[in-house]
Amino acid sequence: MSTQTLLEVRDLSKRFASRESRDAALWVIKDLSFSVPDGEFLTIIGPSGSGKTTLLNMIAQIDTATGGEVRFKSEPPAPISDPKLLNPGLSCRIGYVTQEDNLLPWRTTLQNVLFPLTVQGRLNDETRARAQTLIRTVGLAGFENHYPHELSGGMRKRASLIRTLVYDPPVILMDEPFGALDAQTRAVLQEDLLRLWELGRKTIVFVTHDIAEAIALGDRTLVLSRAPAKVIGEHRISIPRPRDIRGIMSHPDFSALYQRIRAQVQ
Amino acid sequence: MSSLGQSQASDRPTALSGRLLARARAHSDQILVLILLFAIWQALSFWLTVYWVGSPWGVVTRLYDGVVNGAILMHAGFTMSEAIIGFIIGAIPAVALPFLLRRLPIATAILDPFMVGGYGAPKLALAPLFILWFGIGIESKIALVAITVFFIVYFSALAGVRALDSKLVQMAQVAGANERDVARHIVFPGAVPYIFTGFRIAMPYSIGGAVVAEIISANRGLGYLIQLSAMNFDTTGVFVALVAVTIIVFVMNGVVDFAERRLLHWRPASDAKMQSSQ
Repeated sequence: MSTQTLLEVRDLSKRFASRESRDAALWVIKDLSFSVPDGEFLTIIGPSGSGKTTLLNMIAQIDTATGGEVRFKSEPPAPISDPKLLNPGLSCRIGYVTQEDNLLPWRTTLQNVLFPLTVQGRLNDETRARAQTLIRTVGLAGFENHYPHELSGGMRKRASLIRTLVYDPPVILMDEPFGALDAQTRAVLQEDLLRLWELGRKTIVFVTHDIAEAIALGDRTLVLSRAPAKVIGEHRISIPRPRDIRGIMSHPDFSALYQRIRAQVQ
Repeated sequence: MSSLGQSQASDRPTALSGRLLARARAHSDQILVLILLFAIWQALSFWLTVYWVGSPWGVVTRLYDGVVNGAILMHAGFTMSEAIIGFIIGAIPAVALPFLLRRLPIATAILDPFMVGGYGAPKLALAPLFILWFGIGIESKIALVAITVFFIVYFSALAGVRALDSKLVQMAQVAGANERDVARHIVFPGAVPYIFTGFRIAMPYSIGGAVVAEIISANRGLGYLIQLSAMNFDTTGVFVALVAVTIIVFVMNGVVDFAERRLLHWRPASDAKMQSSQ
């Protein structure tokens, strides 16, 4: 793993406009900083309402920041406080798997997966083959021509996951992508994700409120405080890969890590 | 996981045959109601005499004769072309305008009271004005149909554009979609169900508008036939024209249904049913 910093978040702050006066409590995120080296699987954990989604929205540039900056590689920081200058997905290099699958209901599974390639004008035999491979890898073969409403929740999630993987952005943000699934489906999808990640070793920023998930997936886990959110803990997950997701709890390091993180998550 | 999806897929044929069965049952009940209505009508014609209410059998034979000798078809064709041409002239700007105004909220707000006024105004009251402006030929009928259709479809299309899911737009932008891609791949497909609801509501109005304009002043068309028959105290003739209008509405409804099913096959069946039952 190279140690070059791919994504750097510095003093990022977000305040939502208040109906009343400038209320200090309306700062959702205040002076939040962290950096992500190339190829790292970073998990971020925080209590619900701690601005995790807002944080990812700002990094993906679909929401403005009140202050601070986000840098991609060594490029100058993007102007993210002006809504007119936002560059969502920073020119297709920051992928974003949102909490909801956001599949287009009028497109079939295959058309949904090909959507980013279509709008980027990168649809060719090679990228189509890549999409087919991804569809097979996550077990959606045979469902290419089904519409989203004909798929189960887990299948929709897989489709939305590979829709981002298909165009191979260097950074992928994930916002509790498996939050709404049952435990069984969730474990299967976590395994799928780790398998896919180990093939390409993308940089992933994965937000969750589940401590076990944060440990099972990540190289490193950041703990966020309640709003206004800032980083209050950092834990390196030294459990070797490839990991056994279902047996992760019986790993000797797991329990101690879990306790340490648990103590910090309020 | 995949077995779940397969069971969903294999549910389809049984669901389909169930739907067909339900539809067949509904049809047989509908035919029963039709026969009952005809029976009441026939009884009324004996009681009140054919002079006042006509008779179903008389209407059927006159309709048949009219179709065979082409007179009814000529009038119906005239009314239908007014309705269809007017529909197209009214519907195209009504669909296009909300898309053009999507990025111009101020212009939309300025136009809004005028659109609401136009929507609420009784369009049939404009018929004499259009006849004054465009004459008693086909143009005045087309104008009336077009303006009626325009306001209905405009508000439906506007609702469709406004129902846009901003999360889908954000997803698309992150994936690299520009403004044009968003309009083409997200805004438009999302608005199509609303536009079709507008078409479905506007379609009978387009036929009705054409017929009423013909009643006021024309020398051809089913509305003219109604007016002519009524002046001659030919009650059966009036009913013949009315039945012909009804049949046209049914056929056009079928055309809208067919187009909607072809364009909106991505929707879950329950959604589509809710929409079509409106």
